[in-house]
Amino acid sequence: MKKIIFFFLIPLGVWAQQSIPLSDLGAFDKPSNNWTIEQGIKAQYSDTSFQISSGKGIIVNTLRNGKYKRTDDLKLKLNHGDIHFMMDFMLPKGANSGIYLQGRYEVQLFDSWGKKTLKFGDCGGIYERWDDARGKGNEGYEGFAPRQNACKAPGLWQSIDIDFEAPRFDAAGKKIKNAIFKKVVLNGVLIQENIEVSGMTRGAIFEKEGAFGPILIQGDHGPVAFKNIRYETYDKPTASLSGITYEYFEGKFVEPIVGNAVAVTKGKLAALTHKVIKARNDYLIHYQGDLQIPEADEYEFQTHWTGSGVLKIDGKELNSGAHWYTDQVRMSVPLTAGKHKFELIHVKDFPWGPKALGVFVKRIGSRLVAFHDRTSLPDPEPVGLIEVKANAEPVYQRSFTFHKGQKKMYAFHLGDPTGVSYSYDLKQAALLQVWRGKFLNATQMWQDRGEPQTSEPMGLNVLLDGKFPLVLSSSVQADSLEVGQLAYKGYKIQHGRPVFMYEWPAIQLKIEDRIVPNENGNGWKRTFSFIGASPQASNLEVVLGNSPDVVSVKPGLIALQGMSYYVQWEGAPAIILNGSSASKQVRVPVQGNSFTYQMIW
Amino acid sequence: MKINLSLLFLLVSLVALGQKPNVKTEQDYYEIKTLPIPKEIYLEVGGLATMPDGRLAVSTRRGEIWIIENPYQKDSHQTYYRRFASGLHEILGLAYKDGVFYCSQRGELTKISDVDRDGVADLYEPIYQFEVSGNYHEYTYGPVFDKNGDMLVTLNLAWVGFGEGKFSKWRGWLVKIHPDGTLEPHSAGLRSPAGYSINHEGDIFYGENQGDWVGSGRVTHLEKGDFAGNPGGIKWAKEPNSPFKLTLEDIPDNGQPMFEAAKKVKNLKLPAVWFPHAIMGISTSDILEDTTKGKFSPFPGQYFVSDQGQSKVMRMSLEKVNGVYQGFCINYREGFQSGILRERFGLDGSMFVGMTSRGWGSTGKDDFGLQRLTWNGIMPFEINTIHAQVDGFEISFTQPVDVKSIKNAASYALRSYIYKYHHQYGSPIINVGDLKVKGITISADKKTVRISIDGIRQYYIHEFILKGIRNEDGEPLLHETAYFTLNQIPTGEKMALNASTAIIEEKAVLMPTEPTNNKSVAKVKTEIVSDEQAMALLKKHTCLACHAKDKKLIGPSYEDIAKRKYSNQQILDLVYKPNPQNWPDYATEMAPMSHVPAKDVLKIASWINSIGSKNDNLLNRD
Repeated sequence: MKKIIFFFLIPLGVWAQQSIPLSDLGAFDKPSNNWTIEQGIKAQYSDTSFQISSGKGIIVNTLRNGKYKRTDDLKLKLNHGDIHFMMDFMLPKGANSGIYLQGRYEVQLFDSWGKKTLKFGDCGGIYERWDDARGKGNEGYEGFAPRQNACKAPGLWQSIDIDFEAPRFDAAGKKIKNAIFKKVVLNGVLIQENIEVSGMTRGAIFEKEGAFGPILIQGDHGPVAFKNIRYETYDKPTASLSGITYEYFEGKFVEPIVGNAVAVTKGKLAALTHKVIKARNDYLIHYQGDLQIPEADEYEFQTHWTGSGVLKIDGKELNSGAHWYTDQVRMSVPLTAGKHKFELIHVKDFPWGPKALGVFVKRIGSRLVAFHDRTSLPDPEPVGLIEVKANAEPVYQRSFTFHKGQKKMYAFHLGDPTGVSYSYDLKQAALLQVWRGKFLNATQMWQDRGEPQTSEPMGLNVLLDGKFPLVLSSSVQADSLEVGQLAYKGYKIQHGRPVFMYEWPAIQLKIEDRIVPNENGNGWKRTFSFIGASPQASNLEVVLGNSPDVVSVKPGLIALQGMSYYVQWEGAPAIILNGSSASKQVRVPVQGNSFTYQMIW
Repeated sequence: MKINLSLLFLLVSLVALGQKPNVKTEQDYYEIKTLPIPKEIYLEVGGLATMPDGRLAVSTRRGEIWIIENPYQKDSHQTYYRRFASGLHEILGLAYKDGVFYCSQRGELTKISDVDRDGVADLYEPIYQFEVSGNYHEYTYGPVFDKNGDMLVTLNLAWVGFGEGKFSKWRGWLVKIHPDGTLEPHSAGLRSPAGYSINHEGDIFYGENQGDWVGSGRVTHLEKGDFAGNPGGIKWAKEPNSPFKLTLEDIPDNGQPMFEAAKKVKNLKLPAVWFPHAIMGISTSDILEDTTKGKFSPFPGQYFVSDQGQSKVMRMSLEKVNGVYQGFCINYREGFQSGILRERFGLDGSMFVGMTSRGWGSTGKDDFGLQRLTWNGIMPFEINTIHAQVDGFEISFTQPVDVKSIKNAASYALRSYIYKYHHQYGSPIINVGDLKVKGITISADKKTVRISIDGIRQYYIHEFILKGIRNEDGEPLLHETAYFTLNQIPTGEKMALNASTAIIEEKAVLMPTEPTNNKSVAKVKTEIVSDEQAMALLKKHTCLACHAKDKKLIGPSYEDIAKRKYSNQQILDLVYKPNPQNWPDYATEMAPMSHVPAKDVLKIASWINSIGSKNDNLLNRD
């Protein structure tokens, strides 16, 4: 018998960050004239500079003064302490830049595309501190390489997400706590977590550490572009809870309603805790307190309990329902400044599962804070990672896998020692995703009974459409094919990698689908071979991708999905169909008995 | 130092011998040999296939097929592992035929070949793609080849708080896949059909685990169109190619025994042999007929049924009366390293045993394992066969019996009972009836005994505890307890009851089958129950099959139960009517143990609570 699984929907609070407008340079502090606002840029992955189209929306560093210098560093007017900072960036081949938090602590931006071993100076690395007194050759210290290489190809948009905690100082100005990179996420991959730095990076623009400073972007090493710059600072005061009292009842309570019950015990608490509950189950506890709201705003409450409960603010029901303690239930409410009535009722009418109670509050502009005692919310079960590695030879593994929220039952994953991986739907002859970096997380499949029975990519992932890529020129691409429409005939292993075999009864065509690393090992090369009826006579076309935007970089090279990956091929030019929705479809007619294209990211 | 240790060991052995003469154990006859597994291989066995060239193939949950060289450990103990195939999705069945492997994955029956003959698979072809919903409990087992070259595959139900087959086609069924990839539905009503095989007559048997609609573990003979009891997959009986028509509404759910339902529901197939829950395993897995002609065991032609949860191999013997299979089960060998999923005979007549405990738990504590079971050729004193008679049973033994012990009424403890048939998980035993020995005849060779019994009942499980029976050397049976499922009572001549067949009713002083500590028979004056007393009770009532004092087995440890601070009465209630939701972290639900006398449960309960109080100071630590 397993845990009861509580299904629930989380109404997510509005996650509104501030964004830096890029219609002009107004957000920046005296930028050098290398920095300009443009509409778009593009580059081949082998280019060392951008092709620029003018307009608004991105900021680009382009050489205008003969040499890139320190004065080309770009300073935001934003002066910050704790900050969650996010942006998209594009690097041409060989580029080097960096983000200095508070103008002091650098996260490196670098074209580390395809590098096997990483140092602190690679993309997403936390750059070294520097001390001349350590002696020649030993000046650098405390640099942190990223956990893995999550850097994309030059000319593609990449994203970085940094959660930074500023150092703390006492009233006398003495540092009492170091700065911490709580998280650095590069292109969706967590590459640093809770990294404490004892001092500044060598290139800091200050002599000393401090509570505040501006974001500084390095502009002295060559071209680089940014867009979609967003942040949240954590300097606003947030809600607090005081005057907490509780009343504890025993008996069979199914709903969190006190009714006429008489309390067994009551008392005062410094923080919310379930530790005053005596029984293992069949109890009700009613907490009340004064919720102090410093400023009128939207406040989001996140609650945890095993059993049922209800959170009320000023008598108005907010979070409620039956949940497992690891569920995060979040509800937002606008509150005026001043005192509000806080009330929480919790019942547990079954014996299994740990007693648990947790209440967090989040205001945009302030960190998440807990209203409960640390021991009141148990840790989730500790489960070690089960990783499938592909270090020495191609490694393949079938499993269930989630793709765009759907569970795929016939998924085949391949990890290649060159560092690229893919997931393939055997039933649809379709690529589900390609990624670079670590191969596969199989924990959900092989731990205990493996109830989800899924595995997932561990690296920099590019999600693909998962559709059968072959169409006849006059017909629409099917979302999904049934068994009778496409016959999966298995796969043969050639040079350690599978060749997938299909029969397509519509035109009596036998298809072989070979996916191998490309010559440079930086992407996948996919070749369809056609055996049987003449593909030309059938007007066969290959769908290279479905994307709301298609950027033609040069003949035979396009960038798709917000320039997040390239598709490259030789042969006929692409036909771009404007679909019924906002999606475009890129097709290429097949000439001869095979067709090859590459995916590079 | 070595010499000293040996001497010490010798002394200890002599002392031990002096204390318990003539007490034979399973390992004196049935030996377990362990095949070492390289440390980097996570060999959670899902399938085994012996190869005619002397190698052994093992498939795993992690989707690999390993070929093991020197598995019989002939000249050296070391084995050698070569990876033949990899990347498959949970291979829970493996077969080797004409140089090619066949295996089940979750959603596919797959043929795997080594075309270039380099020892590594290079062609993976689907023979059939099964529907799967994504539920973890939709396991796929097989294939087992029949003599026509068709492949049998069994399809586990999904688990959504109960067994459910409606999400994906043919779940809860045994299907036949023809070599051309067409599917023929064969039989239904399966819940968790992890193990099945075909005997030398071509009859299919499968093992079922206790669960919803399954009061206890059992082995059922499946013929085309049979419905074995669990209606989770009954939806597919509406398909045009279903061999029978039934709907859920046709199935009574009133807690009456299954045989009552079978009187109304055509196609409902009764088990050939019930395996009483917790005593004869908790999760029957593989079934193998001993076709080794006496090499593997002293019981050629009988069946060996493994149990995943209790890490043991049991023995089953069948007979056919009025065309219906029935027979008995008895313990054979316990003490394997992990939960047994697969059994296959090796070329030398030994049995390879493939194991995994994964999230299911098992008495054997290893996560996985591979062992070999052999018989050393020494004849143990065992029940050989039991055959139903018009008025009782005929029991044969492996050795001549002591006539005095056979004639003694006190040598026998017999009763009969059955389980409920209902949608709930498991069942208590019900309709318990006494069986009284009326007369006994003994064959000239003293190896066969016919017993006339008052009270035998068709369809019931007949429990035999032959604790007083001795061989001519005064030794007790290696296994004294057997369970006969009496589906059909044969015709024939009844035993003439007279002075020569009369049973002796004297109160004999029984030789204990195991050395008994004198302290444990002392009267319990207070509610303070010693560890020894508790252990004796726990062993007697088979509680120790699933629980231990201080460690997690199939179920929680007694120390963990003590932490719940149940009252003795609450423990009694929970033993009689378990609430599996109290222990969500345990995969296997506890069966109701309402046949255990309340006074014994209460003694056990007070012992549990006494160990709890000792550990109180360790509770509530953060």
